[in-house]
Amino acid sequence: MRVRIVSVLIAILVVAALPWLLQTPYWRGILVLCAMNVLLALSLNLVLGYTGQLNLGQSAFFAIGAYVSTILIKSYGWSFWLAALAAVGGAGLLGLALAAFAVRLRGHYLAIASLGFAVITYQVLINWENVTQGVRGIYGILPPVRSTIGLFYLVAGIAVLVYVLMDNLVRSPIGETLRAIREDEVSAASLGINGAVWKAFAFGVGAAIAGLAGCFYPGFVGTLVPEAFNIVESFTMLAMVIVGGMGTMIGPVIGAIVLTFLPEVLRDFGEFRLMIYGLALTLVVLFMPGGIVQAWRALTGRR
Amino acid sequence: MKLALKTAVLAFAFAALGAQAQERVIRIGVLMPISGPGSYFGVMGKEGIDLALEQLKGSVSGYRLQVQYEDSACSPLQATNTVKRVLEQLKPHIVIGEECSDASLAIAPILEQAKVVQLNAGSVTMKLTESGYKYVFRIFPNGEQQGLPLGRNAYTKLGARTAVLLYEKTNAGVDSADGFEKHFVAAGGKILARIDFGRDVNDFTAIATRIAALGKVDVLPTFGLEGQQVRLSQALAQARVVKGGGGNAVQMGSIWLPYGFDQKAGAAAEGYIRIVQFDPTEKRSIVQDFIKAFRAKYGADRVPTHINAHAYDTILLVAEAVRRGATDSESIRDRFSKFRDVEVTTGRISFGPNGQTTDLSVIHFIETQKDLTWKGLDW
Amino acid sequence: MTDLLALFVQQSVNGVYLGCLYVMVALGLTLIYGVLNQINFAHADFVTVGAFAALFTATRFATKVLGLPDTGAYLLSMVAALGTGALLGLAVNAAVFAPLRERGDELRPLIATIGVSVIIENGQLWLFGPIPYQFDSPFSRETIRVGRIFFSMQSALVVAVSAAAIAALYAFMKFTFLGKALRAVAQDRETAGLMGINPNLLIAITIVIASALAGVAGALLGPVLVLTPFAGASVIVKAFAIVIIGGFGNMQGTIIAGLLVGIIEAFTVQYLGSGLIDLVVFVLLLVMLVVRPTGLIAERKEENV
Repeated sequence: MRVRIVSVLIAILVVAALPWLLQTPYWRGILVLCAMNVLLALSLNLVLGYTGQLNLGQSAFFAIGAYVSTILIKSYGWSFWLAALAAVGGAGLLGLALAAFAVRLRGHYLAIASLGFAVITYQVLINWENVTQGVRGIYGILPPVRSTIGLFYLVAGIAVLVYVLMDNLVRSPIGETLRAIREDEVSAASLGINGAVWKAFAFGVGAAIAGLAGCFYPGFVGTLVPEAFNIVESFTMLAMVIVGGMGTMIGPVIGAIVLTFLPEVLRDFGEFRLMIYGLALTLVVLFMPGGIVQAWRALTGRR
Repeated sequence: MKLALKTAVLAFAFAALGAQAQERVIRIGVLMPISGPGSYFGVMGKEGIDLALEQLKGSVSGYRLQVQYEDSACSPLQATNTVKRVLEQLKPHIVIGEECSDASLAIAPILEQAKVVQLNAGSVTMKLTESGYKYVFRIFPNGEQQGLPLGRNAYTKLGARTAVLLYEKTNAGVDSADGFEKHFVAAGGKILARIDFGRDVNDFTAIATRIAALGKVDVLPTFGLEGQQVRLSQALAQARVVKGGGGNAVQMGSIWLPYGFDQKAGAAAEGYIRIVQFDPTEKRSIVQDFIKAFRAKYGADRVPTHINAHAYDTILLVAEAVRRGATDSESIRDRFSKFRDVEVTTGRISFGPNGQTTDLSVIHFIETQKDLTWKGLDW
Repeated sequence: MTDLLALFVQQSVNGVYLGCLYVMVALGLTLIYGVLNQINFAHADFVTVGAFAALFTATRFATKVLGLPDTGAYLLSMVAALGTGALLGLAVNAAVFAPLRERGDELRPLIATIGVSVIIENGQLWLFGPIPYQFDSPFSRETIRVGRIFFSMQSALVVAVSAAAIAALYAFMKFTFLGKALRAVAQDRETAGLMGINPNLLIAITIVIASALAGVAGALLGPVLVLTPFAGASVIVKAFAIVIIGGFGNMQGTIIAGLLVGIIEAFTVQYLGSGLIDLVVFVLLLVMLVVRPTGLIAERKEENV
C-alpha cells in the first residue's frame, strides 16, 4: 500500500516537472495531447483489457465528449464544466447503448458491431449539420485554461486521478468480477455474476472517461471537425493499449506516451513516418504480445 | 606599428563576427499534407516549391532562402502541432500553408499571434480572409470568387435556368457549392438538387441515374477532385445526362480540375465548361518557362497542375518581396500588402485589404471541345 | 416503360453491379474467416495492390514488352493480379496468422493485420504517389443499352466474373476433395488433423485462394475505382459489414448481403443522398446483429454461447 502511495506521489512529481523539461509551446502541446491519449487508453483498457470486450469503437465516445461540450458552450452559452458534465454523461449513456450489443455478441461480432457504432456516430456528426456544422467545422474554440502549461496540468491531473481510481477499482472485488467475465463468461455466469450489468458498467465508465478526454480536445486544437473522429482514431487507441500492455494498469499509459511521441519523433523521417509506425505496430503485436510491459518484465526478470 | 596591427586584427575580428551575426537568411516554413489522402495536394505543392527554389538557386538578393517542410496531413490537429514546431525550430519569417481549408483556418490564429505572415495557396474557405487576420495572404481564389462568375454566367451566358449541384463533402466542396448557388439563384436560376458525395465514393452511376430522372437540368456545377470527377463525368455521359453522352446538361467546374482531366474522362468531357486559372497553353513567357523547367525536372510527359503552379508562385512572391527590400516578417507583410500586378504563373497578384488576391483577370472560361482541346470563351 | 419503372429498374441494375463489386472484395474475407476464424484487415489493400499490378502489367508490360492487343493484355493483367494477391496472402499468412495461431487469440492477429494494412497503404503511397491512376480496360468505355436501361461493359464483366468466381468456389468447396477438407478444417480443426489432413497447409491454401481472389478483384475494379493507394480503404468497412450481415464464414450469406447492400446503396442515393450511405448500411448492420446475429443464412451453428 505504501509502495503504491509513494509511486503515485513520484508520478505526480514527474508530471509536474514535465512542462519544465520540455519548455517549448510545441512540446508542451504534445504533452497535453499525451495526457488526453493516456485518458483514452485507460478508458479503452477498462473495457478491453479488464473486461475482455472487443471494442473497436471507442472513438465514438471521444467524439461525443468533444461535440456535446463544444455545442453546449458555443450555441447555448454553458460554462465549460457544466458542458463537460453533460458531455461525459452523454458519452456514458452511449456507452451503455453499446453495452447492450456486448451482452448479446462476442468476439469478432462485437468488434464489427462496435466499429459500426463508431461509423454511425461519425456519419451523424457529418450529416446533422444544423447541430454540428458538419464538415464546415466549428472554429474559435477556447480551452478552459488559456495557458498550455495550465491545460496540461488540468488534463494530466485528471488522468492521474482516473488512474488512481481505476487502479483501486481493478484491485477491488469489482475488478475480479470484470476479469472473471474476461476469462470465461459462461463460468462467471455459473458463479452468479450478472454479465450484463457488469458489461454495462465497464462500457459506461469507459465511455464516460473517453468523453471526458474529448471535452479538452476542441479547446486544445481550437477547431472541431468530424474528420478528427473517423474510425482510424479507434485503431490508434487500440494500438496504445496493445503496444503498452493490455490488461495491466501501467501498460496503456506507456502505450499512450510512446504512441504520442513516436510520430512526432519520427517527423524527420518524412514520408516514411507512417510506414514505420505500421511496422512498429505489427512487430510489437507479433513478438511482444504483452506489449512493452511484458518486455520490461522479461528484461527485469520479474514473473 | 603594434597598435596598428592590433587594431587591424580587432577590426577584422569584429567584421567577421558581424558578418556572421547578419547572415542574410529568409526563413520559410512550409506546411503541406505529405501523408494520408491529402498528400494529393502536398506532393504537388512540394514539387512546385522545390522547382522554384532550384531555379532561384536558393537565394534572392543576397539572402539565402531556408525552407523547412512539415507534414500537416490536412488535419487541424496536425497543422496546429506542426505550425508550433516550425515556429519553434525555424523561427520563420513566413509560413506557406496549408492546402486544406480546415487546416489553413486552424493555423491562422497561431500565426497571427506570432506575427508571422501566412501565405495560403490552396484553400477556398471564405473564413480565412474574412476573420480579420492581418497576417494572412491568399493567392487562391476563394469560394465567392469562383462561385460568382460560374453562377452568374451559367444564367446569363449559358441561359441555364435549372442546376443540380454536385460537390464533395468537405469544407471546400460545401463552400464552393454555396458560392455557386448564391449567385445562380440571385440571377434567377433554380437549384433542383444538391447532391454531395464523400471522398470514398467510387461509383457515380446511382447519382447519374438520379439526376437523369430529375427532368430538365441545364447545368451541373461540380466541385470535386479529379479522380472522382473523371468517374462522375463518365457516369453522367453513360446516363445520357450531359452533352458528352448525348444529353443536354452542361457540366461546369471550377479551377480544381487540372489540364489532362479531359483526356482521362474521354468523350464524357465534351462540352465541359470551367474556369481555369493555370492554363498551360497560355503564351506568357513566365508560364511557358515554368512548364519547360517543370518537365525538365519531373518528366517530359507531365503537365503541371494548378497546385504545382500555385505553390511555385508562393516562392516567386516571397522572392519578389525580398527583392523589394523585405528582410523579416513585418517587412514581408508590408511588401505583400503593397503588391499590385505582380506577375506569377497563375496570374497577377494584387492583395486586397483582407489579404485575398483581387485581380482575377487571368481566370478565364474554357469549353472542352469534341477533340478534347480547350476553347477559350469570351465571358 | 414508365419513367418511375425505368428509374426503379435502372437503380436496381446499378445496385446489383455495386453489390457484385463489394462481393468480390468480401468473398475472400468470408473465406478466410470461415476457415481461420480471423479477420484480415489488409484484405482490401490486397485488392488495391492487385489493381496496381494489373495496371502496370496491362499498360507497360503486356502492350509494350510483349506487344499483346488490348484484350489479351487485360487478361494477362488479371493473371498477374491473381498471382500478386496469392503471394501477398502467402506472405501475410506466414508472417502473421501462422505464428499467432496457437494462442487462439482473436484480437492480436486483427491488430497485426491493421498494422500490415498501414504498411501496404503507405508503401504504395511511397511507390505510386497519391495522384489517381487512369486504368482503362478494353471494356471500361463501352456502354451496353437494353431499352432504357444502361450499364457499362466493365460492370457487366464484374458481375459475370463474380458470378463465375462464386460458382467455382461453391463447386470447389462442395465437390472436390480439397474443398471438403477445407470445410472439415473449418468445422473442427483438431478432428480434421486427426483424420490425416494437415490443417496448417489447408489454411495456407485457403488464404492464398482468398487473396488471389482479392487480386483478381483488383484487376476488375481498377478501371472502376478511383485508383490511389487508398482505394482499398474506401471499400473495406462496407466489406466487413457485408461479411457480418451475411454471416461470418457463410458464402451464400455474403453474396446475398453484398447484393443487398449494393441495392440499398443505389436506392439510398436516389431518395436520401449519398452522404447517408454509410449510415444506412451500418444501421442495418446493427439491426441485423440484434435480430439475427448469425447472419442472413445461419448455416453454421452459433458458436457464441
